[in-house]
Amino acid sequence: MKTRMGLAGVGVLLGLWGVWKLATTVDLHGLVRLPLWLGGAVLADDFFLVPLTVTAGWLVTRWASRPDGHRTVGAIRTTLLYVGITSLIAVPLMLRQGKGVNPTILPRDYLRDWLLLEATIIAAGIVGYLIASRSAGNALRPATSAVVARAWRGLRRVRRAPRYE
Amino acid sequence: MKLPTLPTEKSFQSSLHHPRVATVIGRWLGTVVVICFLTGLYSHFQQDTPSWLPIPSRPATLYRVTQGVHVVSGTIAVPLLLAKLWTVYPKLFAKLPWPPSRKALETMLERASILVLVSAMALELFIGFLNTLQWYPWPFPFRQTHYALAWIIVGALFVHIAVKLPLIRANWRRIAEIVPNSLPPAISGLTRRGLFRTVAGAAAVVGITSVGQSVPALGPVAVLAPRKPNIGPQGLPVNRTADAAGVTGIDDNWRFTVKGPRELSYTLEELQQLPQSRSALPIACVEGWSQGGRWEGVRIRDLLELCGAPAHSRVRVVSMEKGGFYATSELPEQFAADSLTLLALRLNGTELALDHGFPARIIAPNRPGVLQTKWVHRLEVIA
Repeated sequence: MKTRMGLAGVGVLLGLWGVWKLATTVDLHGLVRLPLWLGGAVLADDFFLVPLTVTAGWLVTRWASRPDGHRTVGAIRTTLLYVGITSLIAVPLMLRQGKGVNPTILPRDYLRDWLLLEATIIAAGIVGYLIASRSAGNALRPATSAVVARAWRGLRRVRRAPRYE
Repeated sequence: MKLPTLPTEKSFQSSLHHPRVATVIGRWLGTVVVICFLTGLYSHFQQDTPSWLPIPSRPATLYRVTQGVHVVSGTIAVPLLLAKLWTVYPKLFAKLPWPPSRKALETMLERASILVLVSAMALELFIGFLNTLQWYPWPFPFRQTHYALAWIIVGALFVHIAVKLPLIRANWRRIAEIVPNSLPPAISGLTRRGLFRTVAGAAAVVGITSVGQSVPALGPVAVLAPRKPNIGPQGLPVNRTADAAGVTGIDDNWRFTVKGPRELSYTLEELQQLPQSRSALPIACVEGWSQGGRWEGVRIRDLLELCGAPAHSRVRVVSMEKGGFYATSELPEQFAADSLTLLALRLNGTELALDHGFPARIIAPNRPGVLQTKWVHRLEVIA
């Protein structure tokens, strides 16, 4: 309990120092509007971004319960998440494209780069899915892998055999 | 018509909304937040140095590393924060305890501290990222707000850890994963390890595609970074152009002066005739981008010697820049005395471009770009 009280005490002091810094360095105009922006940040997270993720996850999981759907669910979920998070970060870059205060800020073609990035993530997702489904397929068909292994052993034996020309 | 009911804590069936998951992702996020806070504090002290804190001039690339880490850690905190919020999301719909009791009061205080933590952190990451684009759509000053919110976040984090400590301890080590029959991993594909990998992967993707503004080797893949380290005059980006600073160049009457025990005055040609030194130093900006450059010019310590000032003197640097926070800067004694600190006249083999501070600028080791004053026309020895 002492540790917890100590941590909480230090936390309150640090937080109050931050509030003091705000109160002494930001003018009234800014201070009055800051809570609106703080509230907006919570709304954006808790009532848009996270529900969007929860809904997407729910839809993907529901879809995965179809026959054979579970094979793809991991790859689809990961791909969607990576596309989502990289797009979230790319949005401000694309919005400000061409509006930098000088030409060395935002010098890329961010729309093109975003499309390339998402295409790469989706391609990687497809490759990941193919690899996963192939290994899952092999695991399900021991007979097939035994056939492959026998063929491989046979091939090596042939290679090792003396050659007569 | 029946309105849809609001979800409750029990509406979320995934076994991944679990304290063990919150503890693991919380550890990652907490580590990243602490790194971001400490590197940010270092940057703040670089620009607003308290008298009790001597900042060393070496290692020369320290600020380049710390500020690059600051911006990257802030960027990868975005997926980590979202993952943490996702994990604990059902708690948002937990019923408030009723009737009022000591327990209810504790719960209310806990929720208030989480509200402070989440709102401050989300806004901090948002304004921090937009600052790297030099985009300021909010009605409060960036630097002061960013700094104050950082203390509030760390304070709220301490309180949060204090409140959750028993839960964190109980879930610190791996514990058995209980999976509801309705969502077996064979169907949902959801396991804790899978989630951790996915979240770590998301942080890695975001990191790799943005760190290239600080690490030139990764510049080509930095598609989520607002800068490319080699784009700009003489292969170096610019923050404040000559045009924005109201500097148009120099005329024949231009003189560079040093105000010390002896007054010195030089034309540009005379400056070029003084012994020239070379320094390979980066411009490392508070916005996280950085790029190395080969600078040539006169050592500040040589100028101090020429004007008869003691080797360990503080120097005020005065720019021709009109207005702006950084029209003057101060070189503490350890920076003025460092053999790498130059009044630079040339960059990467050619005369300084106007946007890089022609005819003369300061370049010193381990300093933020905003203090590498451009268009310098006067040095004043302070003490």
